[in-house]
Amino acid sequence: MSSMFPTFDIASSALTTHQIWMNALADNIANINTVEPMSKPAYQEKFIVAQEIPSEPGEPVGVGGGVAPVAVQYGDATGMITYDPTNPLADKQGLVRRPSENLGDQMTNLIIAQRGYQLNLAVVDRARSSYQQALDINGR
Amino acid sequence: MLDLTMQAIQASLDGLAARQRIEATNLANSETPGYTAQTVNFEDSLSAAIANGDPTQTQITTGVTTDPPNINGNNVSVDTETIQMIDTGLKYQLATQEMNNKFRILHDSTRQDL
Amino acid sequence: MTVTPIGGVLNAAGLGSIVPVTPETTAAAETDSSTAGVGNAFTQALDSLQGTQSAADSLAQTAATGNLTDIHNYTIAATEASVTTELTVAVRDRAVEAFNDIMRMQV
Repeated sequence: MSSMFPTFDIASSALTTHQIWMNALADNIANINTVEPMSKPAYQEKFIVAQEIPSEPGEPVGVGGGVAPVAVQYGDATGMITYDPTNPLADKQGLVRRPSENLGDQMTNLIIAQRGYQLNLAVVDRARSSYQQALDINGR
Repeated sequence: MLDLTMQAIQASLDGLAARQRIEATNLANSETPGYTAQTVNFEDSLSAAIANGDPTQTQITTGVTTDPPNINGNNVSVDTETIQMIDTGLKYQLATQEMNNKFRILHDSTRQDL
Repeated sequence: MTVTPIGGVLNAAGLGSIVPVTPETTAAAETDSSTAGVGNAFTQALDSLQGTQSAADSLAQTAATGNLTDIHNYTIAATEASVTTELTVAVRDRAVEAFNDIMRMQV
Protein backbone atom coordinates (compact mmCIF):
# COMPACT_ATOMS: atom_id res chain seq x y z
CA MET A 1 0.00 0.00 0.00
CA SER A 2 1.00 3.57 0.06
CA SER A 3 3.55 5.16 2.30
CA MET A 4 1.54 8.39 2.34
CA PHE A 5 -0.57 7.12 5.23
CA PRO A 6 1.87 4.72 6.93
CA THR A 7 -0.35 4.01 9.95
CA PHE A 8 -2.87 2.38 7.61
CA ASP A 9 -0.19 -0.02 6.37
CA ILE A 10 0.69 -1.02 9.91
CA ALA A 11 -2.93 -1.42 11.06
CA SER A 12 -3.77 -3.27 7.85
CA SER A 13 -0.98 -5.80 8.41
CA ALA A 14 -2.30 -6.37 11.94
CA LEU A 15 -5.88 -6.83 10.69
CA THR A 16 -4.69 -9.42 8.17
CA THR A 17 -2.65 -11.24 10.83
CA HIS A 18 -5.52 -11.30 13.32
CA GLN A 19 -7.88 -12.44 10.60
CA ILE A 20 -5.58 -15.35 9.79
CA TRP A 21 -5.29 -16.16 13.49
CA MET A 22 -9.08 -16.16 13.80
CA ASN A 23 -9.27 -18.46 10.76
CA ALA A 24 -6.81 -20.86 12.40
CA LEU A 25 -8.81 -20.77 15.66
CA ALA A 26 -12.04 -21.33 13.74
CA ASP A 27 -10.39 -24.32 12.08
CA ASN A 28 -9.25 -25.66 15.45
CA ILE A 29 -12.76 -25.30 16.85
CA ALA A 30 -14.33 -26.76 13.72
CA ASN A 31 -12.18 -29.86 14.13
CA ILE A 32 -12.66 -30.23 17.86
CA ASN A 33 -14.62 -33.46 17.29
CA THR A 34 -12.71 -34.75 14.28
CA VAL A 35 -11.86 -38.39 14.84
CA GLU A 36 -8.98 -40.07 13.04
CA PRO A 37 -8.03 -43.75 12.91
CA MET A 38 -4.94 -44.90 14.84
CA SER A 39 -3.09 -45.28 11.52
CA LYS A 40 -3.26 -41.50 10.93
CA PRO A 41 -2.18 -38.50 13.03
CA ALA A 42 -4.89 -36.82 15.09
CA TYR A 43 -6.13 -33.39 14.01
CA GLN A 44 -3.25 -31.10 14.99
CA GLU A 45 -4.05 -27.78 16.59
CA LYS A 46 -2.80 -24.88 14.42
CA PHE A 47 -0.70 -22.08 15.84
CA ILE A 48 -0.01 -18.94 13.78
CA VAL A 49 3.49 -17.57 14.26
CA ALA A 50 3.41 -13.77 13.98
CA GLN A 51 6.49 -11.65 13.60
CA GLU A 52 7.22 -7.94 13.59
CA ILE A 53 7.95 -6.43 10.17
CA PRO A 54 11.22 -4.51 10.58
CA SER A 55 11.33 -0.84 9.67
CA GLU A 56 12.36 0.04 6.15
CA PRO A 57 15.54 2.03 5.58
CA GLY A 58 14.77 5.70 5.95
CA GLU A 59 11.92 5.16 8.37
CA PRO A 60 12.28 6.72 11.82
CA VAL A 61 14.40 4.50 14.04
CA GLY A 62 12.40 1.97 16.00
CA VAL A 63 9.19 2.33 14.02
CA GLY A 64 8.45 -0.98 12.37
CA GLY A 65 6.20 -1.83 9.46
CA GLY A 66 3.60 -3.81 11.38
CA VAL A 67 3.15 -7.54 11.81
CA ALA A 68 3.05 -10.53 9.49
CA PRO A 69 2.06 -14.17 9.90
CA VAL A 70 5.26 -16.03 9.02
CA ALA A 71 4.51 -19.68 9.76
CA VAL A 72 1.97 -22.21 10.98
CA GLN A 73 3.04 -24.59 13.71
CA TYR A 74 1.16 -27.74 14.54
CA GLY A 75 0.26 -29.24 17.88
CA ASP A 76 0.46 -32.80 19.12
CA ALA A 77 -0.20 -35.48 16.47
CA THR A 78 -0.71 -38.28 18.96
CA GLY A 79 -3.96 -36.75 20.10
CA MET A 80 -6.23 -38.14 22.77
CA ILE A 81 -6.41 -41.90 22.24
CA THR A 82 -9.98 -42.85 23.02
CA TYR A 83 -11.71 -46.21 23.34
CA ASP A 84 -14.68 -46.08 20.97
CA PRO A 85 -15.29 -49.57 19.56
CA THR A 86 -18.53 -48.66 17.77
CA ASN A 87 -16.75 -46.04 15.71
CA PRO A 88 -16.15 -47.31 12.13
CA LEU A 89 -12.66 -45.76 12.27
CA ALA A 90 -11.69 -47.72 15.39
CA ASP A 91 -8.88 -50.27 15.14
CA LYS A 92 -8.96 -53.85 16.46
CA GLN A 93 -8.52 -52.66 20.04
CA GLY A 94 -11.42 -50.22 19.51
CA LEU A 95 -9.16 -47.13 19.71
CA VAL A 96 -9.40 -43.84 17.75
CA ARG A 97 -7.52 -40.55 17.91
CA ARG A 98 -9.29 -37.41 18.99
CA PRO A 99 -7.66 -33.94 18.96
CA SER A 100 -5.82 -33.09 22.16
CA GLU A 101 -6.58 -29.37 21.87
CA ASN A 102 -8.44 -27.60 24.63
CA LEU A 103 -11.68 -25.82 23.72
CA GLY A 104 -11.25 -23.32 26.56
CA ASP A 105 -7.90 -22.23 25.14
CA GLN A 106 -9.38 -21.87 21.67
CA MET A 107 -12.26 -19.72 22.87
CA THR A 108 -9.95 -17.56 24.99
CA ASN A 109 -7.63 -17.04 22.03
CA LEU A 110 -10.61 -16.29 19.80
CA ILE A 111 -11.63 -13.47 22.14
CA ILE A 112 -8.04 -12.17 22.21
CA ALA A 113 -7.84 -12.32 18.41
CA GLN A 114 -11.18 -10.55 18.05
CA ARG A 115 -10.15 -7.83 20.51
CA GLY A 116 -6.87 -7.42 18.60
CA TYR A 117 -8.82 -7.01 15.37
CA GLN A 118 -11.11 -4.40 16.95
CA LEU A 119 -8.14 -2.58 18.43
CA ASN A 120 -6.54 -2.23 15.02
CA LEU A 121 -9.78 -0.99 13.52
CA ALA A 122 -9.71 1.68 16.25
CA VAL A 123 -6.16 2.53 15.15
CA VAL A 124 -7.42 2.97 11.56
CA ASP A 125 -10.16 5.23 12.86
CA ARG A 126 -7.80 7.42 14.91
CA ALA A 127 -5.20 7.56 12.12
CA ARG A 128 -7.90 8.56 9.67
CA SER A 129 -9.00 11.48 11.81
CA SER A 130 -5.37 12.56 12.36
CA TYR A 131 -4.68 12.47 8.63
CA GLN A 132 -7.94 14.30 8.02
CA GLN A 133 -6.81 17.04 10.38
CA ALA A 134 -3.44 17.28 8.61
CA LEU A 135 -5.39 17.61 5.36
CA ASP A 136 -7.51 20.37 6.81
CA ILE A 137 -4.53 22.65 7.59
CA ASN A 138 -5.14 25.69 5.41
CA GLY A 139 -4.75 28.78 7.57
CA ARG A 140 -8.41 29.77 7.27
CA MET B 1 -3.41 27.36 -18.64
CA LEU B 2 -2.63 24.41 -16.37
CA ASP B 3 1.02 24.27 -15.37
CA LEU B 4 3.00 21.07 -14.91
CA THR B 5 1.96 20.67 -11.28
CA MET B 6 -1.72 21.13 -12.08
CA GLN B 7 -1.47 18.62 -14.93
CA ALA B 8 0.20 16.19 -12.53
CA ILE B 9 -2.57 16.71 -9.98
CA GLN B 10 -5.19 16.17 -12.69
CA ALA B 11 -3.49 12.94 -13.80
CA SER B 12 -3.39 11.72 -10.20
CA LEU B 13 -7.10 12.56 -9.76
CA ASP B 14 -7.84 10.46 -12.86
CA GLY B 15 -5.78 7.59 -11.47
CA LEU B 16 -7.30 7.80 -7.99
CA ALA B 17 -10.84 7.88 -9.42
CA ALA B 18 -10.05 4.74 -11.43
CA ARG B 19 -8.63 3.10 -8.30
CA GLN B 20 -11.76 3.96 -6.33
CA ARG B 21 -13.93 2.30 -8.99
CA ILE B 22 -11.77 -0.84 -8.93
CA GLU B 23 -11.86 -0.99 -5.13
CA ALA B 24 -15.64 -0.65 -5.15
CA THR B 25 -15.76 -3.46 -7.73
CA ASN B 26 -13.50 -5.62 -5.57
CA LEU B 27 -15.70 -5.10 -2.51
CA ALA B 28 -18.84 -5.74 -4.54
CA ASN B 29 -17.33 -9.06 -5.60
CA SER B 30 -16.05 -10.06 -2.17
CA GLU B 31 -18.26 -13.16 -2.22
CA THR B 32 -18.11 -13.94 -5.95
CA PRO B 33 -16.59 -17.41 -6.45
CA GLY B 34 -13.38 -17.33 -8.48
CA TYR B 35 -13.06 -13.53 -8.48
CA THR B 36 -9.54 -12.14 -8.37
CA ALA B 37 -9.10 -8.69 -6.84
CA GLN B 38 -7.75 -6.01 -9.20
CA THR B 39 -5.39 -3.13 -8.62
CA VAL B 40 -4.75 0.18 -10.36
CA ASN B 41 -1.32 1.67 -10.90
CA PHE B 42 -0.59 5.09 -12.29
CA GLU B 43 2.07 6.46 -9.94
CA ASP B 44 5.09 5.00 -11.76
CA SER B 45 3.81 6.22 -15.12
CA LEU B 46 3.01 9.64 -13.63
CA SER B 47 6.52 9.93 -12.14
CA ALA B 48 8.03 9.19 -15.55
CA ALA B 49 5.59 11.59 -17.26
CA ILE B 50 6.51 14.39 -14.83
CA ALA B 51 10.20 13.72 -15.49
CA ASN B 52 9.45 14.05 -19.24
CA GLY B 53 7.60 17.30 -18.59
CA ASP B 54 4.20 16.10 -19.79
CA PRO B 55 1.96 14.59 -17.08
CA THR B 56 -0.93 14.28 -19.58
CA GLN B 57 0.90 11.24 -20.98
CA THR B 58 0.21 9.28 -17.76
CA GLN B 59 -1.05 5.75 -18.34
CA ILE B 60 -3.46 4.12 -15.89
CA THR B 61 -2.92 0.38 -15.81
CA THR B 62 -4.82 -2.35 -14.00
CA GLY B 63 -3.34 -5.51 -12.53
CA VAL B 64 -4.44 -8.39 -10.38
CA THR B 65 -3.52 -9.13 -6.77
CA THR B 66 -1.40 -12.17 -6.00
CA ASP B 67 -2.97 -12.90 -2.61
CA PRO B 68 -3.83 -16.58 -2.13
CA PRO B 69 -7.50 -17.32 -2.90
CA ASN B 70 -9.81 -18.81 -0.32
CA ILE B 71 -11.82 -22.01 -0.69
CA ASN B 72 -14.12 -20.68 -3.45
CA GLY B 73 -11.29 -19.17 -5.49
CA ASN B 74 -11.95 -15.60 -4.36
CA ASN B 75 -9.00 -13.60 -3.06
CA VAL B 76 -10.64 -10.29 -2.04
CA SER B 77 -9.47 -9.20 1.41
CA VAL B 78 -12.34 -7.10 2.73
CA ASP B 79 -10.34 -5.38 5.49
CA THR B 80 -7.43 -4.50 3.19
CA GLU B 81 -9.81 -3.20 0.50
CA THR B 82 -11.73 -1.14 3.04
CA ILE B 83 -8.57 0.52 4.35
CA GLN B 84 -7.40 0.98 0.77
CA MET B 85 -10.66 2.81 0.03
CA ILE B 86 -10.08 5.18 2.96
CA ASP B 87 -6.50 5.66 1.75
CA THR B 88 -7.61 6.44 -1.81
CA GLY B 89 -10.36 8.73 -0.53
CA LEU B 90 -7.89 10.75 1.52
CA LYS B 91 -5.49 10.93 -1.42
CA TYR B 92 -8.30 12.14 -3.67
CA GLN B 93 -9.18 14.76 -1.08
CA LEU B 94 -5.52 15.82 -0.90
CA ALA B 95 -5.33 16.10 -4.69
CA THR B 96 -8.52 18.18 -4.93
CA GLN B 97 -7.14 20.40 -2.19
CA GLU B 98 -3.87 20.79 -4.11
CA MET B 99 -5.85 21.84 -7.17
CA ASN B 100 -7.86 24.33 -5.10
CA ASN B 101 -4.64 25.77 -3.67
CA LYS B 102 -3.17 26.17 -7.14
CA PHE B 103 -6.29 27.92 -8.44
CA ARG B 104 -6.49 30.12 -5.36
CA ILE B 105 -2.91 31.31 -5.84
CA LEU B 106 -3.64 31.93 -9.53
CA HIS B 107 -6.81 33.77 -8.62
CA ASP B 108 -5.11 35.83 -5.90
CA SER B 109 -2.24 36.85 -8.18
CA THR B 110 -4.51 37.99 -10.99
CA ARG B 111 -6.92 39.85 -8.72
CA GLN B 112 -7.47 43.50 -9.71
CA ASP B 113 -9.56 45.15 -7.06
CA LEU B 114 -8.10 48.64 -6.98
CA MET C 1 10.87 54.45 4.89
CA THR C 2 13.64 57.00 4.93
CA VAL C 3 13.32 60.64 3.97
CA THR C 4 15.80 62.35 1.68
CA PRO C 5 17.33 65.32 3.56
CA ILE C 6 16.46 68.69 2.12
CA GLY C 7 19.48 70.55 0.76
CA GLY C 8 20.31 74.11 1.88
CA VAL C 9 18.80 77.03 0.07
CA LEU C 10 21.51 78.61 -2.09
CA ASN C 11 22.00 82.23 -3.13
CA ALA C 12 18.74 83.52 -1.80
CA ALA C 13 18.81 87.27 -1.54
CA GLY C 14 20.48 88.37 1.71
CA LEU C 15 21.16 84.88 2.77
CA GLY C 16 24.27 84.22 0.64
CA SER C 17 26.52 84.09 3.66
CA ILE C 18 24.61 81.25 5.23
CA VAL C 19 26.44 78.01 4.75
CA PRO C 20 24.20 75.50 3.06
CA VAL C 21 23.21 72.53 5.20
CA THR C 22 25.12 69.59 3.79
CA PRO C 23 23.77 66.13 4.25
CA GLU C 24 25.73 64.18 6.86
CA THR C 25 27.38 60.91 5.90
CA THR C 26 24.73 58.94 7.76
CA ALA C 27 22.08 60.82 5.84
CA ALA C 28 23.86 59.97 2.61
CA ALA C 29 23.81 56.31 3.53
CA GLU C 30 20.10 56.58 4.19
CA THR C 31 19.65 58.13 0.75
CA ASP C 32 21.37 55.11 -0.84
CA SER C 33 19.24 52.62 1.00
CA SER C 34 16.11 54.56 0.17
CA THR C 35 16.73 54.41 -3.55
CA ALA C 36 17.40 50.67 -3.24
CA GLY C 37 14.62 50.23 -0.63
CA VAL C 38 11.16 49.65 -2.04
CA GLY C 39 12.24 48.08 -5.31
CA ASN C 40 14.70 45.73 -3.67
CA ALA C 41 12.28 44.75 -0.94
CA PHE C 42 9.65 43.95 -3.53
CA THR C 43 12.08 41.90 -5.62
CA GLN C 44 13.09 39.97 -2.53
CA ALA C 45 9.46 39.41 -1.60
CA LEU C 46 8.76 38.08 -5.11
CA ASP C 47 11.81 35.80 -4.91
CA SER C 48 10.70 34.34 -1.61
CA LEU C 49 7.15 34.01 -2.97
CA GLN C 50 8.55 32.12 -5.94
CA GLY C 51 10.50 29.95 -3.48
CA THR C 52 7.50 29.04 -1.30
CA GLN C 53 5.34 28.38 -4.36
CA SER C 54 7.85 26.06 -5.99
CA ALA C 55 8.37 24.25 -2.66
CA ALA C 56 4.61 23.68 -2.43
CA ASP C 57 4.55 22.65 -6.12
CA SER C 58 7.28 20.09 -5.72
CA LEU C 59 5.52 18.61 -2.67
CA ALA C 60 2.26 18.57 -4.65
CA GLN C 61 3.98 16.59 -7.41
CA THR C 62 5.46 14.21 -4.83
CA ALA C 63 1.95 13.73 -3.44
CA ALA C 64 0.50 13.15 -6.91
CA THR C 65 2.96 10.31 -7.52
CA GLY C 66 2.18 8.81 -4.10
CA ASN C 67 5.66 9.41 -2.68
CA LEU C 68 4.77 12.02 -0.08
CA THR C 69 5.54 10.66 3.39
CA ASP C 70 4.05 13.36 5.60
CA ILE C 71 0.97 15.09 4.25
CA HIS C 72 1.18 17.89 6.79
CA ASN C 73 4.43 18.96 5.09
CA TYR C 74 2.45 19.62 1.93
CA THR C 75 -0.56 21.25 3.58
CA ILE C 76 1.71 23.57 5.58
CA ALA C 77 3.86 24.46 2.54
CA ALA C 78 0.71 25.12 0.51
CA THR C 79 -0.71 27.33 3.24
CA GLU C 80 2.59 29.21 3.41
CA ALA C 81 2.56 29.72 -0.36
CA SER C 82 -1.03 30.88 -0.26
CA VAL C 83 -0.53 33.29 2.63
CA THR C 84 2.69 34.65 1.09
CA THR C 85 0.84 35.23 -2.18
CA GLU C 86 -1.92 37.10 -0.40
CA LEU C 87 0.65 39.19 1.48
CA THR C 88 2.56 40.03 -1.69
CA VAL C 89 -0.63 40.94 -3.50
CA ALA C 90 -1.67 43.15 -0.56
CA VAL C 91 1.70 44.91 -0.60
CA ARG C 92 1.47 45.32 -4.36
CA ASP C 93 -2.03 46.82 -4.04
CA ARG C 94 -0.81 49.28 -1.40
CA ALA C 95 2.22 50.22 -3.54
CA VAL C 96 0.05 50.86 -6.58
CA GLU C 97 -2.34 52.85 -4.39
CA ALA C 98 0.56 54.97 -3.08
CA PHE C 99 1.81 55.55 -6.62
CA ASN C 100 -1.64 56.64 -7.72
CA ASP C 101 -1.91 58.97 -4.71
CA ILE C 102 1.38 60.59 -5.67
CA MET C 103 0.29 60.93 -9.30
CA ARG C 104 -2.91 62.67 -8.18
CA MET C 105 -0.98 65.19 -6.07
CA GLN C 106 -1.33 68.85 -7.06
CA VAL C 107 2.10 70.19 -8.00
